Amino acid sequence: MNTPHQQQPSPRAVEQSSETTRLHYSPNVDICDAGREVTLVADLPGAKPEEIDIRYDDGILTLHAPVASRPLPGRMLRHEYGVGDYRRSFQLGEGFDPVQITAEARDGVLTIHVPRTAAAQPRKIAVTSA
Amino acid sequence: MHPLQATLRRGFARPLGELREELDRLWAPLTAAPPLHGWGSAERSSRFPALNLSETEDALIVEAELPGISSEQVEVTVHGDELQISGSRPHRRAPAEGETAVWHRQERGTGSFERSLSLPVSVDSTLVEAHLANGVLRVTCPKAAAAKPQKIRVTAS
Repeated sequence: MNTPHQQQPSPRAVEQSSETTRLHYSPNVDICDAGREVTLVADLPGAKPEEIDIRYDDGILTLHAPVASRPLPGRMLRHEYGVGDYRRSFQLGEGFDPVQITAEARDGVLTIHVPRTAAAQPRKIAVTSA
Repeated sequence: MHPLQATLRRGFARPLGELREELDRLWAPLTAAPPLHGWGSAERSSRFPALNLSETEDALIVEAELPGISSEQVEVTVHGDELQISGSRPHRRAPAEGETAVWHRQERGTGSFERSLSLPVSVDSTLVEAHLANGVLRVTCPKAAAAKPQKIRVTAS
């Protein structure tokens, strides 16, 4: 049994883009709604921070990150994952201020902060005694 | 041949490394630390991190995706022919005091991970280099002199 133990690459949830025939990986995310803002954290290993594209249009937040293939030199002995662009969209709904959206990337993880507009923020109503 | 006999034969013919990996796979869901699923669903990536491995004339190259892990949070060790990658990924940020947070998605795994790989050839552990960039770890393991292909000079008599 000298043949190397080979495995088929097991791509993450892959969706096919309607614009092109290229396959995209759907990144894993954490989404937390803390009232004044929604925080979205996405795993994008291999994506360069300056190439990550985030768009907000009509209540839909779309992130796209191109990832150039980085073939390992020589002969592949084991192939457990594939490499490709990341793309995923999220329906956020109304009440967000697109101008205030900020994002930072570090160690292959993208964090997007989507603040609510002042009018849409939850308010605590003080009850006064008569 | 008895079917059990056939199974046993196949089982024993397996290289030990492969058997060990099989055991690792069986153990992974039972051990205390939750497996870290950096990506993919639980069924698909039972072992974290997923690894790609290639071989050149001079070296073995191992690559793993470790998003959210800094160089201080990952440890790469080579002991004999065994490469081990271990570390931990920080837990999700807890909501601040008095803040009510609603989680809509929790797909990113957290916690400690450990993965061993039996290297197919001997490497020089003193020359192994590991580099982490944008959440991608690449480990270059130069082969031991004895494992490199030797060119034999043919002399004419």
